[in-house]
Amino acid sequence: MTLLKVEDLKMHFPVYGGVLYRQVATVFAVDGVSFSVEAGKTMGLVGESGCGKSTIGRALLRLYEPTSGRVSFEDKDITHLKGRKLRDLRSDMQMIFQDPFESLNPRHTIGDILQEPYIIHHQGKPAERRQEVLKLLDRVGMPADSIHKYPHEFSGGQRQRIGIARAIALKPKLIICDEPVSALDVSIQSQILNLLIELQQEMGMAYMFIAHDLSVIKHVSDQIAVMYLGRIVEIADSETLYANPQHPYTRALISSIPEPDPRKRKNFTALKGEVPSPMNPPSHCHFVDRCPYSQPLCSEKTPLLTVKGTNENHRVACHFALN
Amino acid sequence: MMSLFNLNPLTIKKINRFKSIRRGYYSFIIFTLLVLLSCFAEVLVNSRALLVSYEGNLYFPSYGSIIPGRTLGLGYDYETNYRDLQKKLKDSGSGFVIMPIIPYNPYENDLNDSSFPPFPPSFEDSHYLGTDTIGRDVAARLVYGFRTAIFFSLILLVVSYLIGVSIGAAMGYYGGLFDLLFQRIIEIWSNIPFLYVIMIISSIMIPNFFMLIVIVLLFGWIQMTWYMRTVTYKEKAREYVMAAKALGASNSRIIFNHILPNTVSIIITFIPFSIANGIIALTSLDYLGFGLPPPTPSWGELLSQGSNNLESLWIVSSVIVAMTLILVMVTFMGEAIREAFDPKKHTTYE
Repeated sequence: MTLLKVEDLKMHFPVYGGVLYRQVATVFAVDGVSFSVEAGKTMGLVGESGCGKSTIGRALLRLYEPTSGRVSFEDKDITHLKGRKLRDLRSDMQMIFQDPFESLNPRHTIGDILQEPYIIHHQGKPAERRQEVLKLLDRVGMPADSIHKYPHEFSGGQRQRIGIARAIALKPKLIICDEPVSALDVSIQSQILNLLIELQQEMGMAYMFIAHDLSVIKHVSDQIAVMYLGRIVEIADSETLYANPQHPYTRALISSIPEPDPRKRKNFTALKGEVPSPMNPPSHCHFVDRCPYSQPLCSEKTPLLTVKGTNENHRVACHFALN
Repeated sequence: MMSLFNLNPLTIKKINRFKSIRRGYYSFIIFTLLVLLSCFAEVLVNSRALLVSYEGNLYFPSYGSIIPGRTLGLGYDYETNYRDLQKKLKDSGSGFVIMPIIPYNPYENDLNDSSFPPFPPSFEDSHYLGTDTIGRDVAARLVYGFRTAIFFSLILLVVSYLIGVSIGAAMGYYGGLFDLLFQRIIEIWSNIPFLYVIMIISSIMIPNFFMLIVIVLLFGWIQMTWYMRTVTYKEKAREYVMAAKALGASNSRIIFNHILPNTVSIIITFIPFSIANGIIALTSLDYLGFGLPPPTPSWGELLSQGSNNLESLWIVSSVIVAMTLILVMVTFMGEAIREAFDPKKHTTYE
């Protein structure tokens, strides 16, 4: 069952400047993105910094107002919800943030932080809320006495557990994980990933897992979308994507995953050049400047996300895919 | 709102650090004591006695209505002159009078027959700092002047911070057109010359204590507004605010529960300097004659008397010493608070 459906989502930020404070440019952070998330499954979204993947997460949660496009959740259009309905939506859709040092208010105790979802959504009496908080702490593997402590008394991994506890407090159907492990040590990363997987099996929620690291996302995702400069360039089941990457950008990303076995090491194809500015992306194919296979056609016609092979769930936005 | 007053271990750390900065901490203790003592100035500096024992009856004249001279065996119906009573009872032995440390009130003219005021300091007459040009005790006027100045400053502080914090937080939080509008209003408003406004107003009417607060307030709220706007902008962009929004928190919940507690340390840092500014503002207005109407005891008025009568050096030197001491203490306090609350020392990001 499709839980979340995104159609042609665009998120443009105006840039103001000059004496009269006029709009002088636009950042095309997300430029026409479509995908869907199945209930209880994990959708991975991968791309390098600045490609707009976090912006998508925030636009879905309506922390940003999308410029255009349509987002529907359980077949209801949520693109323009307001007030009470928006608040109700938020108990079904939560977010885990990247930086556990920043996402917890330094002046609140862990008890305050974990009770806040219940207070905002008017759930339970103070004593019941406390019980719920203790259950949550136990569920994410934190000691019960953390309830009176402040965020700065914990390590990064522990704080991320608190962030996760806050996100699951209202038993949402979808959690947007905005690079939840990229600020953590590698040894802690796997613990947090395993916790997320366990929680998903227990509570049956869907994840939209944003990361810049293909090796992390491989571990958790059912489906993966690769983003480049505000657009999805390739989307497929995770096995298919790793076994048979078709877009040159995806190939470059996969070849950059470190391989522990030295005999299996492939030739690393480094991409040339820098990511163009999202204020001034190349017209048509955004990857044209860095693509080793670019042809004149790439600058004349925008490649659309289409099925190129035999697998109908594998779509790629490149004129010359498979070549 | 609870979290504003809950003592976070970080706050305790800051307070301990403040205590470890000795001169700031001692200045804080002395200053607080002075403010508290000035609340009870009537029992320390007054022409009324603390205690009168007359023909077996006890009287406590410090507070309450006046006790006419006739009640205490003097031949008049106006208020008893307790200093005379003290001498008289000492001679007759029918009772005793305990006077405050400085047995003068700030309004009375203590004249004598043989010469003209100002009288130099004299322990015999209990004029420890002498009298001013019309025979009023300088020490008494200093104490009551301090009380006026400090309460002027404190009220000004509270009201201007209330206005500044709310407008500044709203500007920073809502941003956009509201912010732009208020920025321009403040820029225009702060270009109005303050002294001219005061001169015009006080030429039309004589300002009283509260009117003076309002006038100074008209221009005093701006500074805090700017600071609050900036820190709110900064806090608003932090991820914990985003997290609260994602949970569905209302704007007022985000402002009061999340942003304000994180800006408290910045607000506190400015308090001592605002107190100093308040005292300076009132003193300079009084000095120029645009402040409180005479005969209200005030430092500015003493300062202007003193500078017009430089041959009576005790007037001007008393005020200058008192003022310097207070301002130095406030500055020490301010420095220590700034040091103790320095975000670089106790970063909340780590």
